[in-house]
Formats: sequence, C-alpha cells, structure tokens
Amino acid sequence: MDILTILFYLVTSVIIISSLSLIIVNNTVHAALLLVLIFFNSAILWLMLKAEFLSIVLVLVYVGAVLVLFLFVIMLLDLPVKEKVNQKLYLLFSLIISLIMFIELYMVIFYHDFYQVDEINYYAEFNNTYEIGLLLFTKHLYSFEVTSLILLVAIIAAIAINSANKRKALKQDPSRQIEETKQSRLKIIKDKDL
Amino acid sequence: MITISHYLVFSALLFCISVAGIFINRKNILLLLMSIELMLLSVNTNFIIFSHYSNDMTGQVFVFFILAVAAAESAIGLAIIVSLFRIRNSLEINLINKLKG
Repeated sequence: MDILTILFYLVTSVIIISSLSLIIVNNTVHAALLLVLIFFNSAILWLMLKAEFLSIVLVLVYVGAVLVLFLFVIMLLDLPVKEKVNQKLYLLFSLIISLIMFIELYMVIFYHDFYQVDEINYYAEFNNTYEIGLLLFTKHLYSFEVTSLILLVAIIAAIAINSANKRKALKQDPSRQIEETKQSRLKIIKDKDL
Repeated sequence: MITISHYLVFSALLFCISVAGIFINRKNILLLLMSIELMLLSVNTNFIIFSHYSNDMTGQVFVFFILAVAAAESAIGLAIIVSLFRIRNSLEINLINKLKG
C-alpha cells in the first residue's frame, strides 16, 4: 500500500464516522464543529483529486464563512439541549430508505464499465487555477454573471426577511407626529423640595 | 491502487448518510440544513471525481457554481430560521405546521 491509498482510507473513514455522528448528535454546536471536520477532510480528498483551487475555496468559503455563519446563528438562538426522544420509527424508516439507495448506487457503480483512465500525467506547467479562470471567463461567462445575481438576491432576501418586523423598525410615522401635542409629551412636576 | 469506483462508493455512502440524517432529525431544523450541506458536498465530490478521471475542467467550473448557490441557499435558510425562531420560539420540525400542508 502506497501513501496515497493509506491517506484515502484515513480521510474517508474520518468523513464517514463524523457524518454518522453528525446525524445522531443532539447538540447543534457539536454538529457544526463536526461539519468543520468533514469539510476539512473533504478538502484533502479534493486535493488528492488534483482540484487545488476548489479545495482551498472549500476551506476558505465554507469553513471560513458558511460554518461561522452557522455557529453565529446557533449562538443567537440560544437553543436548549433537549433530551433524546423516542424516534425508533423514523430511525427504522431512514435506515431502510438509505440502505436501499446505497445498494442501488453500489450496483450501478460496480456493474457499469467506466472508461478507466488510470493516471493522467499533467504536464509540468499545468495550472489548475489558470485553467478554471480561463474557462470561467470565456466559455461560462454568462453563467458567472448569473451567479453574481444569485448572490445579490441572497443578500437582499436575507436582509428583507429579518427586517420585516415593522413595529420595531426605526421609521417615521407622519400622522402620529402631527397628532402629538405639547400636553401629550410634556408633564410638569412640581418638586416640593426646591 | 485507488480506482474511480472507490471514490464513487465513498461519495454514494456520504449521500445516503445525509439522506438518513434528513429522515432522522425531527427535533432541530438546523441539523436538517447541515444534512443538506453534506448532500451538496457529496455531489460536488462526484463532479470532481469525474472531472479528474475524464480530464475535463468543466466539472470543476460547475462545482464552483454549486458552491456559490449553496452559500446563498444556506444564508437564506438561516435567515428564515432566525425569523421563525422569533415567531415560534422553538425549532422543532413537527411543530411547524402552520400551513396545514
């Protein structure tokens, strides 16, 4: 066994075990931290598949931004850690469905004859980031612009959903301002000590 | 020697685990969102495997787009969860039945 095989089995077993514990864990903070571990190991796996740019993007964008957002929301909500409830029926159904799905996928993978390119030898000057950038700004330029639009919509939607609480919003109400009189705002208190 | 099938079986296993996670979780909608992230990760891994073994960079460009859309999706999902928690004061999925669907 060479070093790459050992690394593959190590990384995949870490991902599988931590994702199994993610779906049965009760504490959301632990789940978010397990997700960080899974994304780090997936970045290693993507590096083994020679996708250098995307593995760094996975660490920077996902671990750096999205999972920090998750932890931030967990901190904001301050959820109580609940006791385990009896959910054997759901467990049974999920086991059956996921087992059927996995067996079918396994059969598809092993009875299909993939065109096997054993090891692609990239030439020495091959630059992953350069190649992705070249494709992104020539062939897929329109999709790239649409992606920027999707991100803009996400920003506006996230702000609009959470600022819809009209009573607490700081804004002027002209009719109420006109109705206010001196008597409703001012109260003169006679202080006897003076 | 690791072939393409090893990677594909790993990706399929990860996908099935996250599907089971969606079925199991009835108590917390945040864990459901995390399971969806895990599903997207396994799909992205599949794209990168085929991109590597067929020597075509277009798969990696597609993964780039999926990452952007997934980030937008999780941002909107977390915003909805925050406003839902403000109204209902809990995140239990079996209590969210306001639409009576």
